[in-house]
Amino acid sequence: MVENSMINVAEQEKALEQATRIVKSEAFEMKRCLDKGKTMDALKHALLFLGELRTGDLSPKFYYRLYMDSINELQQLETVLIDEFTQDSSKLNNLYECVQYAGTIIPRLYLLVTLGVVFIKCGLGSKKELLKDMVEMCRGVQHPLRGLFLRNYLLQSTRSLLPDSPDGIGEKSARDGTVSDAVDFVLINFAEMNKLWVRMQHQGPSREKEKREKDRMELRILVGTNLVRLSQLESLNEEMYVRDVLPSILEQVVSCKDPISQEYLMECVIQVFSDDFHLSTLNEFLAACGQLVPEVNVKNVLIALIDRLALYTTSSIEGQSAAAPSKMELFEIFSAQAKDLIKNRPDMPMEDVVSLHVSLVSLAVKCYSDRVEFANMSFLSLRNILEEKGVESIEAFGKVGRELTKLLHIPIDEYKNVLKLSELPEFLKVLNYFDYRGKCNTSSYIIQNLLDEQTFLKNDQEIQAVFQLIEALLKEHAEADCEAEDFAEEQNLVARLVHMIRADDVDSQFLLLNLARKMLGEGGKSRIKYTLPPIVFELYRLVLGYRDQKDEDEKWNAKVRKIFVCAMGTIGALVSTAELAELPLKLYLDGAMTADKVPFDENHVVVYEFVSKSMSILEDDVADSRDRVRCLQLTVGALLQTSNLPEENWSPLASQCALAAAKMFKKPDQVRSLCTVANLYWHGKTKETNGEMLKNGKRVVEILRKAVKIATECLEPVVQQQLFIIVLSAFTYYYEDGCQEINIEQIEELMRRTQENAVQLDVSAEADSLERQLADAVKRLKLAKLEKHEVPVTPSLEDCEKVEEEQA
Amino acid sequence: MLVLLIGDLHLPHRAASLSPKFRKLLVPNKMQHVLCTGNLCTRETFEYLRSLSSDVHVVRGDFDDDDGAKYPDTKVITVGQFRIGLCHGHQIIPWGDSRMLELLARQLDVDVLVTGNTFECTAVEKNGRFYVDPGSATGAFSVIKNSPPTASFALLDVQSDSIVSYLYRLIDDNVKVDRVVYKKPKN
Repeated sequence: MVENSMINVAEQEKALEQATRIVKSEAFEMKRCLDKGKTMDALKHALLFLGELRTGDLSPKFYYRLYMDSINELQQLETVLIDEFTQDSSKLNNLYECVQYAGTIIPRLYLLVTLGVVFIKCGLGSKKELLKDMVEMCRGVQHPLRGLFLRNYLLQSTRSLLPDSPDGIGEKSARDGTVSDAVDFVLINFAEMNKLWVRMQHQGPSREKEKREKDRMELRILVGTNLVRLSQLESLNEEMYVRDVLPSILEQVVSCKDPISQEYLMECVIQVFSDDFHLSTLNEFLAACGQLVPEVNVKNVLIALIDRLALYTTSSIEGQSAAAPSKMELFEIFSAQAKDLIKNRPDMPMEDVVSLHVSLVSLAVKCYSDRVEFANMSFLSLRNILEEKGVESIEAFGKVGRELTKLLHIPIDEYKNVLKLSELPEFLKVLNYFDYRGKCNTSSYIIQNLLDEQTFLKNDQEIQAVFQLIEALLKEHAEADCEAEDFAEEQNLVARLVHMIRADDVDSQFLLLNLARKMLGEGGKSRIKYTLPPIVFELYRLVLGYRDQKDEDEKWNAKVRKIFVCAMGTIGALVSTAELAELPLKLYLDGAMTADKVPFDENHVVVYEFVSKSMSILEDDVADSRDRVRCLQLTVGALLQTSNLPEENWSPLASQCALAAAKMFKKPDQVRSLCTVANLYWHGKTKETNGEMLKNGKRVVEILRKAVKIATECLEPVVQQQLFIIVLSAFTYYYEDGCQEINIEQIEELMRRTQENAVQLDVSAEADSLERQLADAVKRLKLAKLEKHEVPVTPSLEDCEKVEEEQA
Repeated sequence: MLVLLIGDLHLPHRAASLSPKFRKLLVPNKMQHVLCTGNLCTRETFEYLRSLSSDVHVVRGDFDDDDGAKYPDTKVITVGQFRIGLCHGHQIIPWGDSRMLELLARQLDVDVLVTGNTFECTAVEKNGRFYVDPGSATGAFSVIKNSPPTASFALLDVQSDSIVSYLYRLIDDNVKVDRVVYKKPKN
């Protein structure tokens, strides 16, 4: 039979189909004979379909399908035979003899294995001897593929039959064997299968090497199953493993000198046997690693072992047998091994070096949480290698960079407290090997972890430590792209970090915020606009929380003042360095509202200072007309929140607002702003009014009349109508509120003009809306007039409608 | 139909993060609409709201000018039989004045007016209209409040002729829920 691996898939399909057909029909015949009790004839048919397994035309994948079909049929045969011979066992010997004479070896051996299993299951003969016979006779097939599958059949069908009782003397163990016999059986089978598997590599032309390697990878599990079987033997104890099993496996692995086999089987050993076994044989296993052929990626083997043992929780390591290394030795053994490995393979790629350290750090961090120096040692060893190899900068998204990211994330993820990173001085040094992007990414990851884990920064060491770790985000750098989206994202993270600063008392908190402000201030123009506003708000939060401790602290006044000075200076940096306008304007206003709430000496001076600073920004630095309207609106809103400014301070601020409103560039903006400012003279509270509203109706009317005048000058009908309605609503509002200075005739005059205007408007959705708003204003006014005379308890639209009905 | 009302997050100016307890409650694709009263302050926060629902409406808060997003001052959204008005509220002078709020609701011709800026989660009916303030979702610090902030948001379950509103507040790190029902008056 000529091996022709170039046969394409279609042809393989065809060959498989043909073979399967024969298997089916012969199996059918076999079952018919079994039904009739003609056992001998049934076996002949079985031999015929098993003959198909002699084929050399099928690739491993297709051969596997044929194999599965065939052994399914064999299992049925096995079941019937067992049934038959548990009743009358005399015929069985006879069959065995007959099968011996079958002409070709493959079918004969499959049948002999089947019969051997039947023998054992029927309790005939010595199990020990039978197993030995079977595993020996399979040597007859030396073709790799066919041999591997035959032996796999042997392994599968004896799965539940292997003797698994402890070694001992006695009649039963002499006949059935003990676990030692099972071990011998599997080890022989394993050795033979591995030889067959390795031999595959050397058959056929060298140009098909790649295909052969692929085929071999598909078959590896057949070889590995032997090791799985060994690991399933319950009576296999540590002593036997150390004395017989592992040495025998390792000898096979080392001597075969085949890289595919070596790498796979070493990992297999790691995966299938228990942690206790590994701990007892660590030195032997690692010694074998050193003897593997150079093509084997020993790093993978070592990583697999370290990761496996890292999962093995530390507590159970103590108190093992004498052969097992102590918990502390374990880390040292692995460190030393990794070191040797890297030394002995000078051409190991840097990403492999780093990934080896990923495993070491993971072992150190997960198993030795009380020995931080272990993790630090691993970082140190990596740094030494980086230094030796002259690495200067590691690209964030390169092969090495990706491994380095994994490495740095381990202690962050495991400690769940980034402050603990300061106990690993080497962490930062390794982090600094990253390029700028890599450093930024890790810094972000650190902050995100701190936020997620709610790690508060309670003193200046902690702030220093974290800021040192995230330094890349804090300082100006030539490579930083301040316009990029991730720049903003990163700076927003830094900003969020500020809120995690929490000292135990007010004094320390103030010091910490000052420290943070100083450090963040070094970030320059493009960073402070993100990072300083949170400082300002934290200062306001601090001072408001401190408000009630006036009697407990004799330096209270001075301290409060200091906090406000600090806030003001911080905002000042946003104006002068970051060249911002609106943001500092708003922060000043928040400062004014805060200072008004804290009853320190002369607090009105501070309130005035805050407001006037915000107003000079409005004057000088807000150019866009819509922005000016909005900023004035905010200023009025904020001023209305204060109530402690003396009249002499309040008045210039209010007039300044009125002036700013009248100076708006567009007339509609003037009207809207004047209506806003009018509020100051009605709702405003000063020190002199003692919490009561000013209710300066005269000024309100003056301002609103000015608004009417300007609105009249607007020539666009829709806009004019909008403005009329706004002013009308404002008049009505104050009228409702009992403003005596409002002359109802004046409002009604404006109302009439507005109603006349409404008729002139072109049809539009906007005109409809204005119509509705006007109708509402009319209703409100009528209701308010009614109120003047009757003073109803709660005015509502329903009342208003009633009035209308009455009038109708 | 579920409508999430959320706003005044002030990340990163005034708060470190949205509580994990709230994040757990805010499951993507449960709410058909998200109405935000503003003060998202960053693009990331907007993206977060987008991850909750494909229909997100945002109006401008007083601190929304710096991230380049241009949100309108007011917006009207129709959900089922209801017109819902949305406005941050810093534009309503004096801040939080109930008569001014009513005027805005009439001007917008809405059944429900959603505003923020008070940092207090409330829902009240007045003269046939429903006024809701979801408060600050992050419990952001505010200088106009005298008590420490409470993180909160609101959920509207909009039915054919009524709205059941649920007010979620984070008190001592536990989520407390209050329920207020609003029935649309028969014209």
